[in-house]
Amino acid sequence: MNFEVIREYLPLYQEAAVLTVKLGVLGIIFALLIGLACALVQYYKVPVIRRIVAAYIEISRNTPLMIQLFFIYYGLPKIGIRTSPEVCGVAGLAFLGGSYMAEAFRSGLNSVEAIQTESAFSLGMNRVQAFFYVILPQAAATSMPPVVANVIFLLKETSIFSAVSLMDLMFTAKDLMGIYHDTTECLFLLVVFYLIILLPVSILGSLLERRLRYAGFGA
Amino acid sequence: MKKHNLCKAVTVLSFSLALTLGASFLAMADEKAIYRTLDEIKESGVINIGVFSDKYPFGYVDENGDYQGYDVYFAERIGADLGVEINYVSTEAANRVEYLETGKVDIILANFTVTADRAEKVDFALPYMNVALGVVSPEGRVIESLEDLGEKDRMIVISGTTAEIYLTENNPEVRLQKYDTYANAKNALENGNGVAWANDNTEVIAFAIQNPGYVVGIPELGSQDTIAPAVTKGNESLLSWLNDEIVSLGEENFFHADYEATLLEIYGADYEDTLVVEGGKTAE
Repeated sequence: MNFEVIREYLPLYQEAAVLTVKLGVLGIIFALLIGLACALVQYYKVPVIRRIVAAYIEISRNTPLMIQLFFIYYGLPKIGIRTSPEVCGVAGLAFLGGSYMAEAFRSGLNSVEAIQTESAFSLGMNRVQAFFYVILPQAAATSMPPVVANVIFLLKETSIFSAVSLMDLMFTAKDLMGIYHDTTECLFLLVVFYLIILLPVSILGSLLERRLRYAGFGA
Repeated sequence: MKKHNLCKAVTVLSFSLALTLGASFLAMADEKAIYRTLDEIKESGVINIGVFSDKYPFGYVDENGDYQGYDVYFAERIGADLGVEINYVSTEAANRVEYLETGKVDIILANFTVTADRAEKVDFALPYMNVALGVVSPEGRVIESLEDLGEKDRMIVISGTTAEIYLTENNPEVRLQKYDTYANAKNALENGNGVAWANDNTEVIAFAIQNPGYVVGIPELGSQDTIAPAVTKGNESLLSWLNDEIVSLGEENFFHADYEATLLEIYGADYEDTLVVEGGKTAE
């Protein structure tokens, strides 16, 4: 292990880490929004759109991110839609993550017993109130563990961004290894940087899960 | 609760660090025993050769799923002369050194340009091909010198190639768009993700011949280099066998035959003498 080399590579890894986090976070935010929208469509059984959502979820969950990125980055330009690698990375993550998040939210929503809604109505709440004050808080609690797992999963999935020429952590490591061949140092830095990004997320996630562990009351 | 989590995090972190460190030291300690000697290869009956699967016409997979190309033609002969089966291992440009260092392959025959940096990590045998860098761009806007590149223009390169290294070291002002495979880089050029593609000139010439609408605006960039087989550092028995093999193949003009079988169709006869290195002897 040559620490001189490590010091030299640090700025490059930092740059890559910033890109990884930036695109990862953006992708995850969009994934959460898409997921929530899809889950609501399924929960309230909105006609027609429900079928489209179901099809999207199946397509998105049953194709690898690599293929989705290839499609967006190399496929769409053939029909005139050209995107930058960054947009493509975020879109890919959102497309993949949306379905996973949808399933996580759906499981949460479905776990809230019908009697809760009925009770809310009998207390004089309307549908919106019942959703925001009764259903959502309980659903969020149940959804939290899978949502956190998805967030970590999506952050890790950024490691295949090299397919669309994004200099994320993984590609930076591979690239440096290809030029200077300091494999040990490059891989060491790679592990360290992923841990720096992912460990706080995982710790924050478990804290959040504990905070929200009030669902199931009265179920 | 907070404390507990912190403890957990610290434990996990230190454990992972220990694991990485341990693994890397293990790798260092093991370095000497990683390659297989000539005798061990013969005994096992199989030689592992790293080649490209997407670098037409040097190393590629044809429609029947067989490896073909100038490098593969040579690899076939190595297998025959050693009397062993060949196990082709598909490699990316950036993996070539690691594949040797970790013993995944016995020989790299993936159009590997000899450079001083690489020679510190692997042992190159005698060369069998000449190469320089070249730049191909679309007809609509031909890049004839690096000065033609605007501030926002991006040059496509493949990670781990001499083109990337050359531009990184000599022209850091050129903005690079890096791809990990040949297939992706070609696709990106066609989609206009970069204004031009820098790579071995053999490769970009082949691309321009195959794809109407593209022109090799810069046929030679940087210095003339050679391409040679490489073995794991220190694998002397295999290295000297390879060198003897290349010298003796020179007597039968093997690499000219190789050119005629694999490259003639694409490049025509004009490039034969510039490209082929026979018997390991370069012009200079």
